[in-house]
Amino acid sequence: MFSHVYLIYGFMVLGLVGMAQYRGWSMDSMNEVKNVPRSIRDNPGAYRSIYSSYHHYTGGK
Amino acid sequence: MSAGQPPLSTQPAKPQARALHCPQCGGAITLRSFQQAVTVVCENCHSILDAKDPTLKILQQFRAITGELKPLIPLGTRGKLRGTDYEVIGFQRRSIESDGVRYDWHEYLLFNPYKGFRYLSEYQGHWNDITVCKDLPVVRSAMVSSANYLGETYRHFQTADATTGYVIGEFPWQVRVGERAIVTDYVHPPHLLSCEAGSGETTWSVGEYIYPQEIWKAFNLPGKPPEPVGVFENQPAPSKVSVKQAFVAFLALSIFLLGMMALNDMIASKDPVFTSTYHLLPGTPKGETSFVTDVFELKGRPSNVEVKTSADVSNNWIYLNYALINQDTGRAWDFGREVSYYSGRDSDGSWTEGSRRDSVIVPSVPPGHYYLRIEPEADARHPLISYTVSVRRDVPVFKFYGYAWLALFLPVLYVMFKALSFERARWAESDHPITLQTESD
Amino acid sequence: MTQPIANCPNCGAKIVFQWSSSVQTVCTYCKSILVRTDVDLKKVGQVADLPPDSSPIQLNTEGIYHNKAFVVGGRILYEYEQGGWNEWHIVMNDGASAWLSDAQAEYAISCSTPGLRLPATSDIRVGQHYNWNGQMYTITVITTARYRGVEGELPFQYWDKDYVTFADLRSQTGKFATLDYSDEQPVLYLGEFVEFEDLKLKNLRQFEGW
Repeated sequence: MFSHVYLIYGFMVLGLVGMAQYRGWSMDSMNEVKNVPRSIRDNPGAYRSIYSSYHHYTGGK
Repeated sequence: MSAGQPPLSTQPAKPQARALHCPQCGGAITLRSFQQAVTVVCENCHSILDAKDPTLKILQQFRAITGELKPLIPLGTRGKLRGTDYEVIGFQRRSIESDGVRYDWHEYLLFNPYKGFRYLSEYQGHWNDITVCKDLPVVRSAMVSSANYLGETYRHFQTADATTGYVIGEFPWQVRVGERAIVTDYVHPPHLLSCEAGSGETTWSVGEYIYPQEIWKAFNLPGKPPEPVGVFENQPAPSKVSVKQAFVAFLALSIFLLGMMALNDMIASKDPVFTSTYHLLPGTPKGETSFVTDVFELKGRPSNVEVKTSADVSNNWIYLNYALINQDTGRAWDFGREVSYYSGRDSDGSWTEGSRRDSVIVPSVPPGHYYLRIEPEADARHPLISYTVSVRRDVPVFKFYGYAWLALFLPVLYVMFKALSFERARWAESDHPITLQTESD
Repeated sequence: MTQPIANCPNCGAKIVFQWSSSVQTVCTYCKSILVRTDVDLKKVGQVADLPPDSSPIQLNTEGIYHNKAFVVGGRILYEYEQGGWNEWHIVMNDGASAWLSDAQAEYAISCSTPGLRLPATSDIRVGQHYNWNGQMYTITVITTARYRGVEGELPFQYWDKDYVTFADLRSQTGKFATLDYSDEQPVLYLGEFVEFEDLKLKNLRQFEGW
């Protein structure tokens, strides 16, 4: 009885992995932005990155 | 002379259950086993009587504790076990002592005039169906004592000194309250092999674990049977938890997983759509540092995009603000990656920290024409840093398979743990309890 | 084949021998032990009241052994330490005689096997090994049993024994043997243990309430 449940669970896991690989899912979080205008190609500085206002890690051990 | 009915019947009379009277108190004594009884106990005054003696000579008298447990299956009850009807004709309470604690169990003697005798034993709600062995088991005393019987090997569970505390009914052998026997149990769940050595005689019997519901059904007993406590020596492990089955299933799934991994690697296009090297000049930048790459095409179904960054930093870092932008739809993915690498020597030797390479996966990117907007950042006093950005379309992510394998293994681990706890509970009351430091004794 | 009919020399009752191989029978009316001679029946003894026993088998019980049907024709009763014990004389459907031993719900069927060298009473010990007909047997128990009586038809003369010594032997393959020291010359019976169910017995004793 346990094996049946486990096998169903196992195949679900495999299915999930297959789906993830097929659809290109990722575990990293990614921010999406919409409606980036074409003018950015000529003026990259105009693009406001979400990260631009963050204070970055400035190095050092 | 005619062959009529003989005047005296010389055949033994059809055996009947005999009704007699106790010589001590006059109470009615019923014999149920048709001349097989050797000892019978008066239910009234608890005198143990010689059943073979027509005068029912008194052999022993004992005082029953007031409030002594009545047998769960009353004497005289009939039930069907393994297709045969049996009648309960005798009952005993026996006990062993361990560390000053007395453990009682009960034995019911069952009788069928054609099939002979059988026993039911009950301990803390656990029941066993027992018969005397016809063949003699073979005992081996190695590191762990064991016994072989009918092709099965039984492990030694316990050797203890058993005392009879209470008897009622009739028995085909001598019984006395207070009599002692050395009982040695061997187990091979669901079977139990028991060797009883007492007053010059050794008897082997074999038992099979039987669930209380079966007993209640067989003997048509009212109410519910008492709930079993703990795990009994030959109690079968619950069938839901089978380590072997789980492992086989796990192995099958693992093989599937491996196959999927190989397939994935073959199918994924891993298309290198863009690669370029840039140089970040030393000194504070004047003006805009961000720039855009050439447009490249991402083909096929929506899948992932891998962006790899490698930089020749030494004891330094570079931070890249990335945006993967769809030229036509204006949809973009915004992410920042840091590449830092440090190394040196100290009292423990040489060390390194960080990596000159970085990789990130952008998920579920629809096909189309894309470019990267890149904005680099570095330490105020950085030297010249050269860095390479490579983009690949549709790559396999092996990390997922690692997590999947873990997800498959965890239930097996759980099953193993449950099985181990069950076995620990089983052996806890034996002569060989399982301890964390596994010492085989 | 006509069944031999005669009259009991003691009480005149009709005596019927069901099997031509029978040598001795017991008159059911007066319990005289009767032996067949060429001419007539001779009374040789008397059976005392048989002790009540608990065997489910009785005279005329039928069964199957090795695919051959048999009928219980007679018995010899013994008593020993552990209680009663019957040696039932069974007649197979081909006329051959065999013995169904019935002691404390352990059953065995064996046949008398002549022509082998057998040890004397004084020589037997528990644990000894003997090789008969290519099979090894070990003496497991030597019993002194008390003869209690006979009943029905027997293929030889047997009565008024006192205490009789038997040696039981077992093999590793479920085979069984008995050395019977009832007479001066020991008799060997070779056979095997059988399960009650396998004998498919019919016409068993009726026990009240069962």
